[in-house]
Amino acid sequence: MVYAILFLPLLGSILAGLFNKQIGDKTSQILTSTFIVIGACLSILILLRTIEHAEVLQYPIFDFVNSGSLKLHWSIYVDSLTAVMLVVVNSVSALVHIYSIGYMSHDPHKPRFFAYLSLFTFAMLSLITADNFLQMFFGWEGVGVASYLLIGFWFHKESANNASIKAFIVNRVGDFGLLIAMFLIFSTFGTLNFHDVFIHAAEFSKKTIHIFGEEFNLITVICLFLFMGAMGKSAQIILHTWLPDAMEGPTPVSALIHAATMVTAGVFLVVRCSPLFEYSKDALNVVAFVGATTAIFAATIAIVQTDIKRIIAYSTCSQLGYMFFAAGMGAYNVAIFHLFTHAFFKALLFLGAGSVIHGFHDEQDINHMGGVWKKLPFTYVLMIIGTLALTGFPLFAGFYSKDAIIESAFFSKSFFSGYAFVIGILTAFITAIYSWRLIYKTFHGKYNNTHMDISKVHESGLVMLIPLILLSLGAVFSGYLFHNIYLGEESTKFWGTSIFFLEKMKEQEVPEWLTILTPTLVISSIPISYYLFLGNNNVVKTIVDMNKPVHNFLVKKWYFDELYEYLFVNNAKRIGVFFWQKGDVGTIDAYGPDGISNSVKKIAGQASKFQSGYLYHYAFVILIGVALIVTVLMIL
Amino acid sequence: MLLEYLQNYLSILIFLVIAIGLGFAFIIVNFICAPSHPDSEKLSPYECGFEPFSDSRMKFDVRFYLVAILFIIFDLEVAFLFPWAVTLSKIGALGFWSMMIFLSVLTVGFIYEWKSGALDWE
Amino acid sequence: MNLLIPEFALIISSLGLLMLGVFKKNSQKLINNFILVLLVILIGIIGVNYKDNQNFFNNTYSVDLLSNFMKITVLIAVIFTNLISSQYLRNQSLTRFEYSILILFSVVGMFTMISANNLIIFYLGLELQSLCLYILASINTTSVKSSEAGLKYFVLGSLSSGLLLYGCSLVYGFTGSTDYYVIANSFLTSGDALKFGLVFILCGIAFKISAVPFHMWAPDVYEGSPTSVTTFFAMAPKIAALAALIRFLHIPYANFYADWKAIIIVISIASMILSAVAAIGQNNIKRLMAFSSIGHIGFILAGLAVGTKQSLSAVLVYVFIYVLMNIGTFACIMCIHRKGAYFEKISDLSGLSKNHPVVAFSLSMLMFSLAGIPPLAGFFAKFYIISSIIEQKIYYLAVIGLISAVISAFYYLRVIKVIYFDQPVDNYDPVENIGIKFSLAVAIIFILFYFIQPSLLSNIADNVALNFK
Repeated sequence: MVYAILFLPLLGSILAGLFNKQIGDKTSQILTSTFIVIGACLSILILLRTIEHAEVLQYPIFDFVNSGSLKLHWSIYVDSLTAVMLVVVNSVSALVHIYSIGYMSHDPHKPRFFAYLSLFTFAMLSLITADNFLQMFFGWEGVGVASYLLIGFWFHKESANNASIKAFIVNRVGDFGLLIAMFLIFSTFGTLNFHDVFIHAAEFSKKTIHIFGEEFNLITVICLFLFMGAMGKSAQIILHTWLPDAMEGPTPVSALIHAATMVTAGVFLVVRCSPLFEYSKDALNVVAFVGATTAIFAATIAIVQTDIKRIIAYSTCSQLGYMFFAAGMGAYNVAIFHLFTHAFFKALLFLGAGSVIHGFHDEQDINHMGGVWKKLPFTYVLMIIGTLALTGFPLFAGFYSKDAIIESAFFSKSFFSGYAFVIGILTAFITAIYSWRLIYKTFHGKYNNTHMDISKVHESGLVMLIPLILLSLGAVFSGYLFHNIYLGEESTKFWGTSIFFLEKMKEQEVPEWLTILTPTLVISSIPISYYLFLGNNNVVKTIVDMNKPVHNFLVKKWYFDELYEYLFVNNAKRIGVFFWQKGDVGTIDAYGPDGISNSVKKIAGQASKFQSGYLYHYAFVILIGVALIVTVLMIL
Repeated sequence: MLLEYLQNYLSILIFLVIAIGLGFAFIIVNFICAPSHPDSEKLSPYECGFEPFSDSRMKFDVRFYLVAILFIIFDLEVAFLFPWAVTLSKIGALGFWSMMIFLSVLTVGFIYEWKSGALDWE
Repeated sequence: MNLLIPEFALIISSLGLLMLGVFKKNSQKLINNFILVLLVILIGIIGVNYKDNQNFFNNTYSVDLLSNFMKITVLIAVIFTNLISSQYLRNQSLTRFEYSILILFSVVGMFTMISANNLIIFYLGLELQSLCLYILASINTTSVKSSEAGLKYFVLGSLSSGLLLYGCSLVYGFTGSTDYYVIANSFLTSGDALKFGLVFILCGIAFKISAVPFHMWAPDVYEGSPTSVTTFFAMAPKIAALAALIRFLHIPYANFYADWKAIIIVISIASMILSAVAAIGQNNIKRLMAFSSIGHIGFILAGLAVGTKQSLSAVLVYVFIYVLMNIGTFACIMCIHRKGAYFEKISDLSGLSKNHPVVAFSLSMLMFSLAGIPPLAGFFAKFYIISSIIEQKIYYLAVIGLISAVISAFYYLRVIKVIYFDQPVDNYDPVENIGIKFSLAVAIIFILFYFIQPSLLSNIADNVALNFK
């Protein structure tokens, strides 16, 4: 069963990718989707079984590396953490597959798209089912490649190509950190198996390492490098720049990769390595700080963006920040819970946005929408559900997880707990504002699109709506259904060994003002947002006019891209051009391959001339040869 | 030892030296002694009082060549037969049959050339 | 005497067939088929007596494993040449019965060379073979090029024969015998004089195997001769001359290893490098094959120069694989004809992949194999040679061999480029001749699947090498 979950996507990918000529477009779509749906059903079964009796399952596949003391297997490792991730990945992936059948119906390269999607799913699954760092790294890189392929799926669009390259390179920076972490782990623990590393973590907690003459705690260094990898994948501040650009890919890709699955790999990594992080307060503090900063930073940018997908992308970035600071507070289970609920409502929002874009025939600017809620009734309702869940409206999924995060910050004794707590609440408010801004601008107000008539706006087909409806069920109920299991009394039993807490979690009474504060803010944001963006446009205008520099700062996304362009990209290009022109073409090629092949050609010309066709020349050569050989023999 | 070995060939060497020496001597003597008063008439090619019609290097029928080669083959065969005939009493049956085989092979060749018309002039 | 059956059968049937051909008009087909059957039977006869080992006629003629291996290789080469070229000869109206009989005579000569254990017998075999080859080269009397090729080959061949004879007479003069065993035991007399003899004899043989600097005739003769004759030239005479060379170096001159090693290495390096470089400028595929064969001979000589049993085995394997690669390549070349006219330019191959995909694929595989690209048979051939060289730590030879192999890959790959990436000009005739199809299939199967069981051939060669002497 577990094997099927892992390998069905791979099989589907191979079939759709290599044999699509034989099996046809339709079949490859249905085949890949069916495989993933089967995988999703099986994952849910596994999760239910894990809930009943927490157990760790391990299924070996075959030897992976056997070199010196480095012995690793390919194997499937399923504990409760993996089980949760399996459900997230597979269910979202299955729905995205189905949705894509409708969304990509006009695209000529459907099989390729589905092959990539399935390939991505396979890589993601091998990431979360890994039982050692190397296999996880395989999956980690695999999702990177698949994401590169999917972002650049419309390869004839230059912006898509640039975005895919950007995503890949920025991720390489993070991967570099992850690799160093793996090297350090191997040199410290002598193994890369999760289990062996984690049970020995305590022994090495006091060990130090010399770097540039300074002493550092070894575990802290490892954790920081691990977190560097996580920052890359999960688009945390500094390494976040690729995520908004990645919206160049088809919308289902954004939903699958850049909302629900791949970007959460970083969170998964931190939680998976909780036995290491627990021994390093400093590393946890860094995680919390970076997470909280990202949360507020991304939220502020989201307010001023006008591209519907970019808004959601920044929102994702911000929510990932929430997860990290939850992890940084030591509340790993809360982080995973938020990851779980977030997957549903963010995928819902993305797919809903996709449905809107589809309805508008590829219009993404929310300033060119408006007033269409009657034309897109289902999408409208579903988007509202997603928004309610995202903002944490009481009883919706986000409410449970986000409040839990803010509470965890409130109770935590971490160095940054106060900072995180304030930012958590503030961000929740900003999130609500920009989310409703999105809804109002898209569906209400005047119809603003000059390119096409309102009558042409159409609702999407059933094949796109059904996944949306299923996701909306998740967005509504996943919080309510699972919060007891993930957070409540049974949680310790449920998580078992998969998450490690140095100190036992304590149930604490939450003060009443706190339970009311966030919901109040969230609910009040609905009318505020209405007033700002629909009721009276002048208010926003005045605010913008008054704070022109601030507004620009936000619209330009805190100038991160410009800064990187100036600092890294230009210099790297300059160095590259130098080595290309002077080093490769000028030196290596000129004297190496080109030079040699030219001289060989010249000699060849001479040698052909030598063959004159005259008998006496030939006879002469023979005699010369005899003379030469006699001479050689005499000399030797 | 080597010297001794070579002494056997001394007579041949002397013979060669005398032969070559004589050959060159006659040519040189001719150059030195013969009267030589060339004029334009003397140097022009002479052909019964006419100017020459064509180049002195002319094509001739390849069949002359063919006949010459065929002649050489049978000429050599005879040259081979003489020593064989002289020593026939000493070399016995093996020697006799060897020559017979040789001759029969030669005969096959002869039949071939005859049949394929190498001996017909026209 | 059982072991001499092949030779006797060849001589008697060639004489008999000559008579048949003269007396019966239009008997060409009959003679050709008879010869084919005869050669196949001979393989069987030699194969049955494969392990036997005996000397005849006062040690002048020896039949042993080496000679049997080489004879079988020669027979394979001749049989396949025959199969490949029947259609070509018909199209070029070269259907004279003398053609087949000349080949048969030259096979007699080759057999004599291979088994010769005496300088005179060796020379006799060499001349018998060469005389036939001179005529074969110029057999297309209507073509100026063919006559030119025959004449050139004849004149230069006589020159080399003269050198060889001079060497023989030196050896005879200083040892007093032409018998290999006697020469081997009388090296006490004078080393230097024998070395002179060695040089001249080696030069004579090097001419026959077209090793640099005695190769000049090869491109012209290969190009001028009818393609079927070129096919024959590329394989059979070289095998025979190589066999004679191996025997000559290892029996009478076994004690002069250091000297002949130096000479062979010089010739080998010159051959490898010159062929690699000079072949690049060629436009005619037959000339290309001439240079290619020079290069392969260079490799074989490099293996010979090592002088160990292992290297001898490598040489034998190389020879066998070389023969099969040539069979395939020339079979492909003979497929390139349009309305009976044959094409030899490399540029004529352009776009062959479009109208003759199978031939195109085969030819490219053969080119890959000739270039020595794994996992094809040509790679193994080179691999055995190089590894035996490295075993003896003659590193510079191995390095030069590899470099020349890399350079020569260029012109082989160029052929493939023309086949696959250039625009087709016009359709060629379909391949209908069963002989060509069969030969091509055998060669390709051998080359493609050699890697499955390489030990099959190399074990035989090892056995031959171990039992030699």
